[in-house]
Amino acid sequence: MTALLGAELLRLRTTRGVWLLLAVAQLLIVVGVSGVMRSRDDVGSPEVQQAAIAHVGLISLFTLVLGIMAMAGEYRHRTITDTYLTVPRRTPVVVAKLVVHTVAGLLFGAVTALVAVAAAAIWLTGRGSSLDVGSTDLWLTVAGGVAWNAAFAAIGVGVGALITNQIGAIAASLAWLALVEGLVARLVGDAQHWLPFALGSALNRLPTATDGPPQWQAGLALAGYAVAFVVAGVATTVRRDIT
Amino acid sequence: MTDVSITGLTKRFGPVTAVRDAGFTASPGVTGFLGPNGAGKTTVLRILLGLVRPTAGEALIDGVRYADLRHPRRVVGALLEATGFHPGRTARDHLTIAARLAALPVARVGQVLDDVGLAADAHRRVGGYSLGMRQRLGLAAALLGDPQVLILDEPANGLDPAGMAWLRGLLRDLADQGRTVIVSSHVLAEVAQTVDRVVVLHAGTVRFAGTLDELAGPGTGGLETAFLRLTSEPRLEGSRP
Repeated sequence: MTALLGAELLRLRTTRGVWLLLAVAQLLIVVGVSGVMRSRDDVGSPEVQQAAIAHVGLISLFTLVLGIMAMAGEYRHRTITDTYLTVPRRTPVVVAKLVVHTVAGLLFGAVTALVAVAAAAIWLTGRGSSLDVGSTDLWLTVAGGVAWNAAFAAIGVGVGALITNQIGAIAASLAWLALVEGLVARLVGDAQHWLPFALGSALNRLPTATDGPPQWQAGLALAGYAVAFVVAGVATTVRRDIT
Repeated sequence: MTDVSITGLTKRFGPVTAVRDAGFTASPGVTGFLGPNGAGKTTVLRILLGLVRPTAGEALIDGVRYADLRHPRRVVGALLEATGFHPGRTARDHLTIAARLAALPVARVGQVLDDVGLAADAHRRVGGYSLGMRQRLGLAAALLGDPQVLILDEPANGLDPAGMAWLRGLLRDLADQGRTVIVSSHVLAEVAQTVDRVVVLHAGTVRFAGTLDELAGPGTGGLETAFLRLTSEPRLEGSRP
């Protein structure tokens, strides 16, 4: 497993895609934080500061794509052939990707959180206010946002294992988040709080997530989604012939 | 001494039978694996490498299925297609990942890059490589574990005449070192100069397995005549050579 994890880490580091995603994400988080800081008058209030920082969690769209690319990208570039030649028993390959990308998602989220806090602090100083660093709620939001990034990276690996067509997997995931979940939510009543984006919102304590489960339950449920997708992928797609 | 043995191999993809009760063995030396396009060569090789599950029969390397090898890269090296690279990654990174994954010393990467003549281009992204360079990189990956068995699917594709001559020399060297080399090809002239034994596959069945002399020795009309005779016969249901 050590060899698998090491190779996976190297694989992640040696393409430009991951660095590009990270750079664009930082740009967006600054835009997100700045939007709140510029448009609100009561920037000193803890709620407003929390709402600005909460954008960290939305960056999980990027780690989701990163996770999908980990599996489906190997099928796209057909490097999967070489990977399975080296590791003919395929399940450990997926597990190694899951571990490495969950940690990568965590780091991705942590970097984003750092930039978000810094951007907020700069705005607040400029407006003669300051970040309410003593607020537990603020740091719970930061932690939840980082965890959301990690969870969506893990789910991405699972989705990529299930749908090995990279474009298809990314399109389906983004369509779910942008449109489908909202439509499904109206059909399923209270269960809507347990759909992936709603869970992420609860984990991140977004202002929009008011009736959702508590933070820790949302985190566990998202981990459950990740495991379910990975298991489904390993049981079906990953076993298929590589022709 | 490492042998490859294939017995009673059948593979159906839905309604299509790609390989039908195929069997042959390959021992040290170069075995040419010939057949027209669509004969089932690639399917047989992919089953041998554990990438495709056979419908029936088995393919063994030294009596063991590929998936059961403890260190597959140290036993078998494979070149399947010249497309299995991330275009944004350099050749050196590609091989380093493979070495790391296979728990091979990273020093092997420099050695195989030298062996295939890519050392000077190793820091370039593979996206800018020609087909011939990709074939060389694929060969480097196959040689990484210094394996006793080499499975090469159409390795001459995209090579220029100098590259062809180089490949012939490499194959002879590998065979002289006592390795078992299986080379699939549909370019007969290329094969005639390189191989010791020949397996001819047509419509998923083995039509001939033996030495090159038996197939195309003096008085037989040559390799092309023999090949066309073997691969133009109407399909014989369930027949074996």
